Amino acid sequence: MNDDKAPAGKAGESACNVMNPGECTLAELPVGETGIVISMKPSLRGRKKFADVGIVPGTRLEMEAHAPFGGLLRIKVMESSLSIHRDDAANIIIRRQDPS
Amino acid sequence: MSRKYRIVLAGNPNCGKTTIFNCLTGARQHVGNYPGVTVESKTGEFMLGEDEIELIDIPGVYSLSSSSPEEGVAFEELTKPGIDLIMNVIDSSIPQRSLYLSTQLAELHIPMLIVFNMSDEAKRKGLKFNIPKLQSYFGCSIVQTVGSRGDGIDKLKTALAESLLHLEDHDVPKLTYGADVDDAIHELVQWIEPAMTDRVHHIPARFFAIKLLEKDTCVMRLPEFQNLDAIIDAQITHLYARHAITAETFMADCRYAMISGACRDAISFTQERRREISDKIDAVVTNQWVGLPLFFVIMYLMFWFTFTCAAPMTAGIEWMFAWIQGLIERFWSPDAQPVLRSLLIDGVIHGVGGVVVFLPNILFLFLAIAFLEDTGYMARAAFVMDGIMRKFDLQGKSFVPLVLGFGCNVPAIMATRSIESERDRRTTILVLPLMSCGARLPIYVLLVPAFFAVKYQAFIMFLIYAIGVAFAMVAARILKSTLFKGDGEVYLMELPPYRVPTAKSILLHMWDRGVMYLKKAGTIILGVSVLLFIANNFPEKKTFDADYGTQMLAVAADTSLTAAEQAAAVRHIENMRRAEAAEYTISGRVGKFLEPAFRPIGFDWRVTTAAIGALAAKEVFVSQLGILYAEGEGAGDDENEDQQEPLRQQLRRAYTPLQGFCMMLFCLLSIPCLATLAIIRKELNSWKWMFLEAAGLFALAYVTTFIVYHAGLLLKIGTNHLL
Repeated sequence: MNDDKAPAGKAGESACNVMNPGECTLAELPVGETGIVISMKPSLRGRKKFADVGIVPGTRLEMEAHAPFGGLLRIKVMESSLSIHRDDAANIIIRRQDPS
Repeated sequence: MSRKYRIVLAGNPNCGKTTIFNCLTGARQHVGNYPGVTVESKTGEFMLGEDEIELIDIPGVYSLSSSSPEEGVAFEELTKPGIDLIMNVIDSSIPQRSLYLSTQLAELHIPMLIVFNMSDEAKRKGLKFNIPKLQSYFGCSIVQTVGSRGDGIDKLKTALAESLLHLEDHDVPKLTYGADVDDAIHELVQWIEPAMTDRVHHIPARFFAIKLLEKDTCVMRLPEFQNLDAIIDAQITHLYARHAITAETFMADCRYAMISGACRDAISFTQERRREISDKIDAVVTNQWVGLPLFFVIMYLMFWFTFTCAAPMTAGIEWMFAWIQGLIERFWSPDAQPVLRSLLIDGVIHGVGGVVVFLPNILFLFLAIAFLEDTGYMARAAFVMDGIMRKFDLQGKSFVPLVLGFGCNVPAIMATRSIESERDRRTTILVLPLMSCGARLPIYVLLVPAFFAVKYQAFIMFLIYAIGVAFAMVAARILKSTLFKGDGEVYLMELPPYRVPTAKSILLHMWDRGVMYLKKAGTIILGVSVLLFIANNFPEKKTFDADYGTQMLAVAADTSLTAAEQAAAVRHIENMRRAEAAEYTISGRVGKFLEPAFRPIGFDWRVTTAAIGALAAKEVFVSQLGILYAEGEGAGDDENEDQQEPLRQQLRRAYTPLQGFCMMLFCLLSIPCLATLAIIRKELNSWKWMFLEAAGLFALAYVTTFIVYHAGLLLKIGTNHLL
C-alpha cells in the first residue's frame, strides 16, 4: 500500500517548489498556526469527503496537534476538530497566515 | 381525528440525534460522545396529541450521498417514499458544518423541521442566531434544544404538531448556488423529468439534477438516467471550465459558499470563547509525547476500577447465594424428591449463581466504558493509537470497536460499520473475538485467585488481556498482508469537544447492561445449566464394575487401621465410585470420548465439557465447573466435609496453576459464543467466513495452549500445586 503513496508524496514535494511564496501543504503547517485552503492537488483521494466536512478553497484551518508516531494530524475546521492523515494533508495546498 | 406520521431524524454524526430520539420516544438507545454510535436505523413510536408518530433514527452523515455504508443506509432511508417530515438535528455550536447537510435535505422538498441541538454549547461559544431569518431561508421551523438535559423538547413537540398541520402547503426553500449553476440545474431538470419513473417520482427532479452534477455514484447508477450521460457531461464540462474546479467538490464548494452567505446574515459571534477548556485538556491528552502513556494509564485504571470496586459487592452476592442454598438445604429434606433438590442446588444455584456473582464486575466494566464513550475520550484514544495500529496495518477507527470489545463482542462488531475501508472493517471483525469480552471475565475471576498467589493475580489478569490484544494485532497484520491486501481508505474522524457525561446516561447504560447480563443468566445460562446438570447426572449408574459397598464394609471392619486411616480409605473408595458413576453420564461419555484430543493441552474430561458448554455463552464454563464440582461431592453425602468447600479450593486440588492458565488461555482464544458468531455471519454476510473464523480461532487456541502447556511442563513452571 505504501507503493501507491510514495510517488504521490514525491509529486507533492516537487509541486511544493512551484507553489507561490507563502503557500505550502497542510502537512507542513506547524502546530498552532493557521492557513487558508487554496486548492487540492489532483492526487488527493476522497476529495468529496474532505469537501463535505468543509475543507474547500477559502476555508480557514488551524493545525492543532500531531498524533504520536506522526500518522494523524488534528486540524480545526469551522469550529470542529478533525483528524486526517498526513498523506492526505500533503495534497491540500494552503496559504499560511501570520500567527498574529 | 388521529393520523399516523412517519418522521426521519437526520443529521451529522454526533449531533445528538439519538438523544433527541430518546427524549421523544422514551426509548433508551445507546448514546455516546463520538461519531458513529448509531450504525443502523432504529424505529420508535410516540403519541403527539392524538397523532401517532413513527420516528426513525438513522446513522449520522455529513452528506447525502453514498460513499460509505452509513451514508448508504441514510441515503436509502431518506429517499424511500412515505416520509411525512424530516427532523434535521444539527449541532448548533458548529452551525456552518451542520447546515451543509440541511441544504441537501432541503432539496428533497420533504417538509422539514430543524432542531438546533446543543444550544447551550452554542451559547457558551458566544453564537447568536437570528432564528426568523434562518427559518425563512430554509423554509421551515427551527427549534433550539439541549437534548442531554431535555430542554426545549416541549417546544419541539409544539413545533412538530404545528408543522404536521401544514404538510400539504409547506414552504419550499429557494436555495441558489449562483446563476450559472442554477441554469445548469434548470437545464438538467428538463431532461430528467421525462426520464423519471414511478419508482423515483416522489423525489424532485431538481434533487437528481444536483446529484448528477456532483457525479454521485449512487444516483448515476440509477437506470433512469443511464442515457443522460452526454447531457450531464456537457453541463459539467461547461461549469468546471468556468470555475476551474473538479467535479466532486464543486457542489460542496457552492453549498459552503451559500451557507457562509446565510451565516453572515443570521449568525453572529458575541464573544470569542471557543472550546477553551476542551482545547486545554486536549493539549495534554492528544499530545505527541504524553498522549500514549496517558492512554495506557487510563486503560489500566479502567481495569483496576473494574476489579477493585466490584470485589466487596461480589462477596455480598456470594454470601447471598450461600444463604439461599443453606435455606433450601435446611427446609428441603434430602429424601423428598432428591433429584429435583439436587437440580435446584447443584444445577441452578451453582450454575446460575456462579455466573450472577460476577454481575458487579460486568457493571463496573460497562460503567468505565460508558464513561470513556460519553466524555469524548474514545475519539482521542483512536487518534493517539492510530500510529501504533498502523504498524499492524489497522487504523485508529478500528480502535473504538476493539475497546468496546472488552465489554461485549456483539455491539463491538456492529460498531465496525463506522470504518469506511471494507478491508479494515473485515479485518477488525475477524480479530475482534480475541478482545477478551465481559463474559470471559468470570472465568478469569474464578480461576486466577484459585491458582495464583495474591501478588501475581493482577499480573496474570493483565497478561491474559494483553495476550488477546497481541494476538489480535498480529492476526490483523497477517490478514491485511494476505487476504485483505490493498490500499486503505481516506481517514477522517471528528474529535468532539469533551462533555461532562450525564449521570443518567451513564447509569442507564450500566443498568441496561446489568439487566441484559441477568437476563442472559436467567435464560441461556439457566437453560444450559439445567441441560448440563442432566448431562452430568444421567444416565445413572446402577450396577458398578466393582463392589464398592463391600470394599467399604471391609475397611470399616479392618481393626488394624486407625480411625483417620479408615476415613481416608473410605473417601478413596467413595471417590472411585463417584468417578465411575460420572464417567457413565452423558457428559462423562462425551468428555471421555474427547479427552484424548484435549489431554495434550492439559484438559481432563470435566474441563473439556465446560469448554464445549462455553460455546453457548462463555460464562457457562464457570457454571459447568460449579455444577461438576458440587456434583463430585455427591448428593445426599451431607456429612462430607468437602460439601461446603468453595469451588476454588477444589479446583486448586484438581489442577495445577499451569493447567489453570491453559484453561484461561483456551477460553480467551477459542471459538467465541454463538451470539458473536451469528453477528459475524450477519456483518460479513457469509456463512463461509463464520465457519472459517470458528475453525481458525479453535486452531489458534489449541496450538497456542498446546505450546504453553508443554513449555510449562518442560520448564516446570506452574506444575506444582499452589503458586
